[in-house]
Amino acid sequence: MIRKSGWLIFLAMLAAILALVYLFLGTAIRLGMVYSLEKAVGAEVNISDVSVSLAPLTLNVSELQITDNAKPSHNTISFSNARAALELWPALLGYYVINDLAVDGLAYGTERSSPGKVFRGPHADPADKVDLQQLLRLDLPNAEELLARADLQTVARGEELQQLAKNQQQVLQDLPSQLPDKARLEQIQADIKALTDSQIANPADLAAKAAELKKLQDTLRAERDKLTAVQQQLSQSRQQLQQAVGALRDASSSDWQKLQDLANISDGGLAPISQILLGDFWGERIGQLEAVYRLAQPYIPESLPGKEQNNQAKLSLPNRILPLPSQPYPDFWIKNARVNWLICGGEALIELQDITAQHEIINAATRFNAEVTGLPQLSLLKLDGDFAVLEQMVTNLNWQLQGINVDSMDIGRGDTLLQLASASLSTTGKLNLVDNQVKQQAQVVLRQAEFSASPNKYIQQLAALLNQQAEISLNLTASGLISAPEVSIRSPLDKLLADAVLGEAKAKIAALQTDLRSKLDNELQQQLAGQSDWLTTLNTQDSEAKALEGNIEQMLNAKLAGVKEQAADKLKDKLRDRLGGGG
Amino acid sequence: MLTLLARILKVLNSEASPWQIGWAIGLGLLAGLLPFGLLTLFIILLVCLFTINLATFLLVWGLCSGLMFIFGDALEAVTWQYAQSPGLLQLLAQSETLQLFHLHHTLVLGAFVLGMLLLLPVAWLGTVLVKQYRGRVMSKLQQWKVVQMLKASKLVQLYEKLN
Repeated sequence: MIRKSGWLIFLAMLAAILALVYLFLGTAIRLGMVYSLEKAVGAEVNISDVSVSLAPLTLNVSELQITDNAKPSHNTISFSNARAALELWPALLGYYVINDLAVDGLAYGTERSSPGKVFRGPHADPADKVDLQQLLRLDLPNAEELLARADLQTVARGEELQQLAKNQQQVLQDLPSQLPDKARLEQIQADIKALTDSQIANPADLAAKAAELKKLQDTLRAERDKLTAVQQQLSQSRQQLQQAVGALRDASSSDWQKLQDLANISDGGLAPISQILLGDFWGERIGQLEAVYRLAQPYIPESLPGKEQNNQAKLSLPNRILPLPSQPYPDFWIKNARVNWLICGGEALIELQDITAQHEIINAATRFNAEVTGLPQLSLLKLDGDFAVLEQMVTNLNWQLQGINVDSMDIGRGDTLLQLASASLSTTGKLNLVDNQVKQQAQVVLRQAEFSASPNKYIQQLAALLNQQAEISLNLTASGLISAPEVSIRSPLDKLLADAVLGEAKAKIAALQTDLRSKLDNELQQQLAGQSDWLTTLNTQDSEAKALEGNIEQMLNAKLAGVKEQAADKLKDKLRDRLGGGG
Repeated sequence: MLTLLARILKVLNSEASPWQIGWAIGLGLLAGLLPFGLLTLFIILLVCLFTINLATFLLVWGLCSGLMFIFGDALEAVTWQYAQSPGLLQLLAQSETLQLFHLHHTLVLGAFVLGMLLLLPVAWLGTVLVKQYRGRVMSKLQQWKVVQMLKASKLVQLYEKLN
């Protein structure tokens, strides 16, 4: 049964729905945006108009203002107009592909015509606040701090040595009792002498004396074996002790090298002063880039390694998109975006292409470039780079800043306050970020810098020298984990500074060096304490053993030989007598 | 509630054929289960093109949309669990038409499959029940004093005039 007017009814219904949508969608979106934004920021949000045009499908948002809940007379963010052109077919498939996104007149902190309502106070996390004074601290590291940071091997080797000495202590104490008794040796010596000096009356007497001599000889051999064992034990102990002492001394040398590296004094002075001055500061600045990583992390696809899977929590979410093996478009994709940002009387033009978190689908990275001109404090800022979430999140960034007017910046505090009254700063650099691993290189040039210093003579000398320079250039590199990068800052000025600032600063470095060396030597002495006594004991006992050994050998050889010769002479005499006189 | 009851009685007692009412119940159920989208528009087109009872369709659509607020989460969770088959995912990934109907969205897929499974049995059951009602219940019901009182009431008479 076909209803002939069916098409007509359907088309009329569809037209009615589209008309309603066309008429009220803008208002609905405006109310939805105001509600969501107010809920998120806790302050009044105003949007003057939202309109939707159908061909092409475009959303226009006019005059958006978000009240600053900490300062209701001002906006946090506002813009005069934003326009997003959505592709229809992907939208019908459920993907948000925006061909062109343009935001004009974006501004931060503009004054409102009337104060906005505040629904919720600011919830600034104190941990996010940056204490510049703290960051710009100037402190030469002291010896104790460096010793604590150095993870000294001297102590460990020393403890090993002490343990070894303790083990050997018992052995060494028992050694004297194992040495042949001197009185007993003298008795044996006397017996041998009596035997060899006595006359041999007949063969039986010879045999008896020979047997007695052999017995004495065996006793002597046994004593000699004991002596040899003692000597071996002494030799072994001495060798082990010497090895341990050697290891301790090597560790001490290695520790000294490490401490020199840590204190940056291996060049014999103040060479890397820029590292000492700005190392921590730059490291903190790089570390703050971690905030960018944390911002981007929720948008990284879950298939990336290290991303936590939490399927259990998602079971309750309604209408999820199934994990298709491939999809024609990313979930969201802004092909071209252009933001015109009004900042401090100047203007920034930011252009971005291919904004998405699923770069493998479009096989391209998100590219961005920004150019800021006309600022009173900065003549030019150029920024460009790309960003892609593939196997890892990879970000490349190049920047060029020219003519940043720096005024009244404090480096350090108290006695070590170095005040930069004014300067013009230019910098170029590049940064590569792979997940949370950063590699960064930058050149910073400070021109017409005027420093003033605290009463500290060292800082005053430093300030005077810096003021004489037409240009101060710094090379900054950073690598490693973004939250705690290894920062290296070098300047061609470093050597000059080192040569020039020979006063207190040099003395301070020298004192640090001496202090470190003496502390390390103390450590070494403490670890070695008592070991020389043990070596002396070993040497004494070794000498005694050697003397005894010589004595025994002498007795064994000389006296035994005498008895044999006497016996042989007597036999010869007897034979000569029996054979009828001799000749 | 009284209006709803009167509307149901009016449809049941009308000249509309039982299959028109049965299919209206089945398609109303399908439209009600589905989140509003192209599939819903397609169902409305079917309802408009065929002489399906519009009042019954709209009534059941509204009722089932309400039921989805209660059972929607469970249906979505079950769909997520059973729709992970590589073959199905591959099919959905390759066909832009299926994606156009948002069948790669769990709730749409689950509601569509459930609705299609229930469509024929519900339409058939609806037709049978209307026939049974008209053959056995309607004449007896008309004789009930309560119904006669209801029909005589000014409210129902006013409603019938307005319709």
